[in-house]
Amino acid sequence: MNTFKFPVINPLLHSELRLKVMVALDSLESADFMYLCQITDCTRGNLSVQISILKEAGYLEVSKSGIGRFSRTVCRITRKGHDALHAYEEGLRRLFEQQVPEKEPGEAEIA
Amino acid sequence: MNAHDELDIIAHTRSEVMGQKVPTGENLFLAWGYPTVIILLLEFFALMWWNEDWCVWLWAGIPVIGTPLMIYFLNEDYERTRRRTLDQNVILLMWVFIGFACCVGGFAMGFANVYRQCLFPFIGLMCGMGCFMTGIILHFRPKTICGIIASALSAVPLFFQGDLWPWQLLATAVIVVISLIIPGHLFRRYVRNTYR
Repeated sequence: MNTFKFPVINPLLHSELRLKVMVALDSLESADFMYLCQITDCTRGNLSVQISILKEAGYLEVSKSGIGRFSRTVCRITRKGHDALHAYEEGLRRLFEQQVPEKEPGEAEIA
Repeated sequence: MNAHDELDIIAHTRSEVMGQKVPTGENLFLAWGYPTVIILLLEFFALMWWNEDWCVWLWAGIPVIGTPLMIYFLNEDYERTRRRTLDQNVILLMWVFIGFACCVGGFAMGFANVYRQCLFPFIGLMCGMGCFMTGIILHFRPKTICGIIASALSAVPLFFQGDLWPWQLLATAVIVVISLIIPGHLFRRYVRNTYR
């Protein structure tokens, strides 16, 4: 009997935009809000909402500083966010491996 | 979205972020190198002319000039790239540590009254090591080679002892030219030719 347990999928990361933000920040030390807009290719309003959700979950740290007339928003991933992202990725891999069954040795392909 | 799509998004975003290779900090070596060499030369000539203890304190001019320049160039880099990579952070923290090590080492050797013997070889070695490590992290061979040469030359000031000790300043200035100014110009030219 197959004893595969479905991994629990984190609903916070099960969104394309939030996932992109988390992956981008996981590959960097920190990034500006405008850089995240550019890399995720989304509107400022939408990104701002998603960043707030991730911040409330404790996955991101957001710091704001004023430079001249403009304010700069800098985001960085937290340890909790880093762990959540890697657990999520691991869960996806396990799920993907379950979806694509490996061929048995010597199994013939059906034309 | 299924698992395959999400794994695709993760891989694509990661490669896009990591693939945007825009080296920064091309002015930082020069921002520290030129003030250091100028101050070392001033200190040397002041010691030769007056030969008084206050001349040694001219070194304080190095952080006074270097720190604002560094902050200015770091801000400029951030304005341009709008992000900071892990590599940049490691290099920055390493140089901050080297700067503090030179200051703390300088004061400790001053209190122990041995700065005329071993302070400048120590500073030369620190600059050479920093340059070498930066070259390794950035995969920029000229910095690695200059770092090795500077580290090897850091023993030269040891040969100027006793009344000759002010000449250690000139030897250290040469080491700083090799470890900061030459690789700084080479890296600046490389960045401007390759990425702009």
